[in-house]
Amino acid sequence: MNSSSIPPVESPEPPPFDLLRVPVVGPLFRWRYARPVLQVPLLIVSVIMILHGLFGPSLAPKNLATTLSWLHFRGVLVLVLLCAGNFFCLACPFMLVRQMARRVFTPRFNWPRALRNKWISVALFVLILFTYELFDLWSSPWWTAWLIIGYFLSVLVVDGFFKHASFCKFVCPIGQFNFVASTLSPLEVKVRDQVVCTSCVTKDCIRGRREASADRTSELVVIRGCELALFQPRKVGNMDCTFCLDCVHACPHDNIGILSRMPGTELLTDPLRSGIGYFSKRKDLAALAIVFTFGALLNAFGMVSPVYAVENWLGKMLHVSLEAPVLGLIFIFFLVVEPVLLLLVAGWLAITWGGVRRSLLSTVVRYTYGLVPLGFGMWLAHYGFHFLTGLYTIIPVTQSAVASLGHAFLGQPRWTLTGLSANVVQVVEIGFLLLGFAGSLAVTHGLAEEDSPAGSLRVFIPWATVCAVLWVASMWLIFQPMEMRATLMSG
Amino acid sequence: MIFRPLSTWQRRLFLAVAVTAVLLGVACRQKADPVSEFTVEREFTPLPVQVGPVRVTFTVRDRASKPVEDAHISVEADMSHAGMSPVFAEAKEIQPGRYQADLALGMAGDWVILLHGTLASGEKLERQFDMKGVQPRALN
Repeated sequence: MNSSSIPPVESPEPPPFDLLRVPVVGPLFRWRYARPVLQVPLLIVSVIMILHGLFGPSLAPKNLATTLSWLHFRGVLVLVLLCAGNFFCLACPFMLVRQMARRVFTPRFNWPRALRNKWISVALFVLILFTYELFDLWSSPWWTAWLIIGYFLSVLVVDGFFKHASFCKFVCPIGQFNFVASTLSPLEVKVRDQVVCTSCVTKDCIRGRREASADRTSELVVIRGCELALFQPRKVGNMDCTFCLDCVHACPHDNIGILSRMPGTELLTDPLRSGIGYFSKRKDLAALAIVFTFGALLNAFGMVSPVYAVENWLGKMLHVSLEAPVLGLIFIFFLVVEPVLLLLVAGWLAITWGGVRRSLLSTVVRYTYGLVPLGFGMWLAHYGFHFLTGLYTIIPVTQSAVASLGHAFLGQPRWTLTGLSANVVQVVEIGFLLLGFAGSLAVTHGLAEEDSPAGSLRVFIPWATVCAVLWVASMWLIFQPMEMRATLMSG
Repeated sequence: MIFRPLSTWQRRLFLAVAVTAVLLGVACRQKADPVSEFTVEREFTPLPVQVGPVRVTFTVRDRASKPVEDAHISVEADMSHAGMSPVFAEAKEIQPGRYQADLALGMAGDWVILLHGTLASGEKLERQFDMKGVQPRALN
């Protein structure tokens, strides 16, 4: 038999993994009450944190508010984003309270058109990073409790007045962090078969499933469609997706799953995205990516010894003894001056040397997304360090909290329980940073190949240099001695 | 999931509970340390305190300024950030009412020292004081 006469058989691409098809887990997520079931435990934990923060011990390592907020919540959040997707937004307790409050307040307004961008949330993201350093939130259970209360109140005010998920999409700094980080997650809420959507006439995934009212004069929404204006057939990636699964429940064809994908691929392409537009035209999203990436380094810099030397030097130079202006200058340098210089020089080189046919601003905006993996690597290294080195501290803190209520069934607090050795965790940190570096190199290289197939290397080299500079800075940071002071300036 | 809207009285009740909760939260403050029968004077060596061995010496006196002898006091040092290893030591009485404990601090930054004591009379002694700005170990 002549083998050359047999036509080659194309092996069909295997279907992606679909979490909603997994036994037990899939039906749980498809269950209509899945979200409240996940939200209620987090709401209870939030209330406990608030109460312990307000009325419990004033020492951060002995309080549930500070231990859970600054160690366990942040650590679990970044690890779940890395290994799965934006499941925190799915289980967000603030949204449960909002949903209950909407039984009292019916929002009447649409979010103002001029504010339908990320600028407010970028400003709030920076504000949280700034207040974290200025008021040493990590060392104050009381302020941590008030931060949580403030978050609940903000949700109620914003979503009490404005329709849909205005808070999630345009205000929530945690949500924006999750949206950016989840561009690197391996799971995505996605249409299973586009052909099914082509023949769909009801578009319930965005409009919501509706039924006629009892008097047949109007329609009632019985299952919500996407509150973040992401129309599933044209949705690309995880940006702005809270994994709320409203679209999954609303779709009458059971055509939406939680599918696997190559992490970061959505950063490589620039199609028109439902509810977002083009990445390359969104300066606000690029600013968010800059704060996410450079803020990761800045947040870690605030926890190592050299920051105190820099602050004292700046204070003496400027004859200023107040911390706020000095810290403000450090923030301006790291979140404005440094990124602008690095990105403009790299963009200019990509255009003049590499022949990219875009404007300077457009080039900078497009390639800024390539730095997101580096930023996520730094957040993973930083939050992972605190989480893993303090992994077991939740045990004695809980024992102590229960004992303070007069119940001894958990035993005496074992304060010697802490977590993994810092030496072991440092290896994990290096791994995260290497992963982030590799991811950023891959994305910027992919963008360079698309922009200039003939001279991609000349476009890639300036951006690879920026990635290398940030990676070296990250590596330097994790090898610095940690120093956590509640008062930065010694003058 | 979509909830059924509340009736008017339910809305009023919800608002009343919410406003009360906020007012209570604003009004509450963490309780201050109770006035104690005892005074504790402390000193650290070396100064400035650096990462590594630190000696904490403290003198306990009663209201009449008499040294409090034969107390069993343990010393605990915690970082201001959650999740860091606390350091423990037992204090020895080196003179009447004067106690000393050696700690090994593993990290620079702000520490909080806690004294947990039982006096000869059986009374409890709990004290907390700051040891701010512990410096990184000096390079020789």
